[in-house]
Amino acid sequence: MADQEIKATVLVVEDETLVRLYGMDILEDAGFRVLDAGNADEAIAVLQSHDEVALLFSDIDMPGSMNGLELAHLVHDRWPNIRLLLTSGHRQPTQDQIPDDGRFMRKPWGEQALMAKIREILA
Amino acid sequence: MSETPLDYADLFETAPCGYVLADKDGRITRANATFAQWVGSAPEELQGKRFANLLPIAVRIFYESHVAPMLHIQGSVSEIALDILHTNGNKLPMLVNGTALRDDRGQVASLRFAVFTASQRRNYEQTLLHSRNEAQASVLSERAESELREQFIAVLGHDLRNPLASIASGTRMLLKEQLSERGSMILRLIDGSVVRAVGLIDNVLDFARGRLGGGITLTRDDREPLEPVLRQVIAELQTIGPNHQIEAAFSITEAIDCDRVRMGQLLSNLLGNALTHGAKDQPVRVMAEAAGGQLIIAVANGGEPIPATALERLFQPFFRGDGHSRHEGLGLGLHIASEIARAHGGTLTVASDPRETCFTFTMPLARTAQA
Repeated sequence: MADQEIKATVLVVEDETLVRLYGMDILEDAGFRVLDAGNADEAIAVLQSHDEVALLFSDIDMPGSMNGLELAHLVHDRWPNIRLLLTSGHRQPTQDQIPDDGRFMRKPWGEQALMAKIREILA
Repeated sequence: MSETPLDYADLFETAPCGYVLADKDGRITRANATFAQWVGSAPEELQGKRFANLLPIAVRIFYESHVAPMLHIQGSVSEIALDILHTNGNKLPMLVNGTALRDDRGQVASLRFAVFTASQRRNYEQTLLHSRNEAQASVLSERAESELREQFIAVLGHDLRNPLASIASGTRMLLKEQLSERGSMILRLIDGSVVRAVGLIDNVLDFARGRLGGGITLTRDDREPLEPVLRQVIAELQTIGPNHQIEAAFSITEAIDCDRVRMGQLLSNLLGNALTHGAKDQPVRVMAEAAGGQLIIAVANGGEPIPATALERLFQPFFRGDGHSRHEGLGLGLHIASEIARAHGGTLTVASDPRETCFTFTMPLARTAQA
């Protein structure tokens, strides 16, 4: 299934290391190029040096200067072509809180749920 | 019996209250011995002083701005609570009545005051005031405490979810590796425990919010199908009992207007209950169908029937059966499931006999019809 898709680059932003690695694992297995960051500030640094990122997959609840929602707004302003997928275990943003028709996926997610959302967004 | 003539002068001087006579401007013309003694002066020393000057500054302002004008306009004041200064500087709480006497032309000519000690009454009032303040303070602190408790539970829940998500992620990554039979069995058991812990945290958070007035809130819509959510729950819960057979039958073709996360939680709680209490050698059956204007989700398991006496209390929080078997959880699962059913305008019922125990959720679908 994954072979038929365009192999885009995904930036995974998540402060829990194992959760981040798991997400990266799933995406890499599906054939994506994967970059990662542990918080919003790191994510911006990555984006500044990688203009090929097509999708931002970010946790909402993270320590640091910005949470994932704020990061999504900033990314949408500066890199309007990047698609957005947000996730959280304890808050559910409404559709108009997420910029650019971005998507939301509730934690805990597994391989199936994550891949379904990614396909939906990059379709 | 001969009547002793009244000694008016003595009655004035040694009356059980203070008398103060003043001119129209409030300058004392005469004060009785009782009053003079209360304030620590000789009666002559008081003559010529302004009555207002016997009052502490703040009280003096009140006297000048309220009491004196009322005397001039209404002709009298009564039960005015004033502090009067003793010559040693102490404040004496007093109650004062006053009258203004007018001349032929109706102008105020002089003032008369009767003064009563009021320290006991003032103490009483202050005690009342104090206890009222204390009562208010304790209500406030209880409210603050319960808010703190709610925040504590929310933070604890959130903070517990993070390490659990890490354990789950690590476990699933390891499951993809080449492992011995035993190794992968252990990992699946770890995974199952994480699923149970996450469900427990969800229920406790919902219960805490419900108790504190938040209730179960729904985010309803029918944009995405319900079936994948339910299948996902079954796949997750299978990890709790990897060898326990779960049979699922779905027949949902229409869009269901519901909170899918909550529906997942409802099924998760019912299925978790069936896997925990049902006979391990009999399959757990999950049925979900949308037909005849209603959505039905039913979960059935075999094993010992639930006693009729326990059936009534099954949906109460913290109900844990008779405790003869190894019960898991806080007994919140069925309670939260019934609350989710109620929030959707539906019902959750149970029937139990030696053949099976079946929980059935029923919800009307009126809202979805081409809305």
